[in-house]
Amino acid sequence: MPQSWRADTKPHKFCPGCGHGLVLKCLGQAIDELGIQGKTVFGCDIGCSLLSWDFFNLDSVQTHHGRTTPVVTGIKRARPELICIAYMGDGGGYSIGVQHLISAAARDEKITAILANNTQYAMTGGQMAPTTMPGQKTETTPYGRDPETTGFPLHGQEMVASVSREEAYVARGSIANLRQLKSFIKKALENQMKEIGFSFVEALSACPTNWRTNAAETWDFIEEKMPVYFKVGETRKNE
Amino acid sequence: MTMEFQPRTQELEKGYFTLFPGLCKGCGLCIEKCPKKSLGWSDVLGVYGTPSVRANSDCIACGICRDVCPDCAIHIEKKVKH
Repeated sequence: MPQSWRADTKPHKFCPGCGHGLVLKCLGQAIDELGIQGKTVFGCDIGCSLLSWDFFNLDSVQTHHGRTTPVVTGIKRARPELICIAYMGDGGGYSIGVQHLISAAARDEKITAILANNTQYAMTGGQMAPTTMPGQKTETTPYGRDPETTGFPLHGQEMVASVSREEAYVARGSIANLRQLKSFIKKALENQMKEIGFSFVEALSACPTNWRTNAAETWDFIEEKMPVYFKVGETRKNE
Repeated sequence: MTMEFQPRTQELEKGYFTLFPGLCKGCGLCIEKCPKKSLGWSDVLGVYGTPSVRANSDCIACGICRDVCPDCAIHIEKKVKH
């Protein structure tokens, strides 16, 4: 268990097999390796990601839906010496809070945003989100998402990359490759620590409860189906 | 509130496989990822009353199950060769 995790709140509140645990494990290991536990502020969103409000031994703030980016931006502007992390899901970051994420990227705020993409709104019961894959069955698309009427999945990471400045760091990792995801998160935090610019990491995550998959089908969905639309890699990096 | 997690250690040929049933939620991600297919369901129940996991003698102590566990319920210690 990473040092920065809060052991007395474990086992954590996420469902069995949830990808949030793996993304936050990578984040905790990155915080440990950089030695920034004492000066880090963690902001979490509404949705399943709010269940991480007591996850870390860090100063944490929990905000309204999609509003974690501006709250963390305010903390960063008031106390520039702190390391500020905004943690959100794809419902908060790519639909209701997309204007905040895009504006923060365009203004090149010196914060780190981490987004877990599980292709639907998990906490409210698995409704269709902008990132739902074509043909994927959810509560509101019981015959599978039809691109004719509801469009194709939103490429949020490419959208953030296209409005961000040259010095920003924008990458997409996957919980199928945890070492790569950890190195992306570490680079994003280093980008903030050196005060270079905005950094954003999207992590492809899992939701076995609402996908209604067993462990084998969960790995198949993350490793085979999701990378068809969501390409893993670093879109924008500061060499 | 402080929670105590009781570890259960299995000594295997290549290393020590330690499981914390108080953390294991029985998702089964580690069973699918094991390259030697050496993990299986155990009689010991996890935190949600679901079966936890155990290793058999094929385990090579590679540590992939420890990496993919979202709850950090597995600890692997490799035996040092003398």
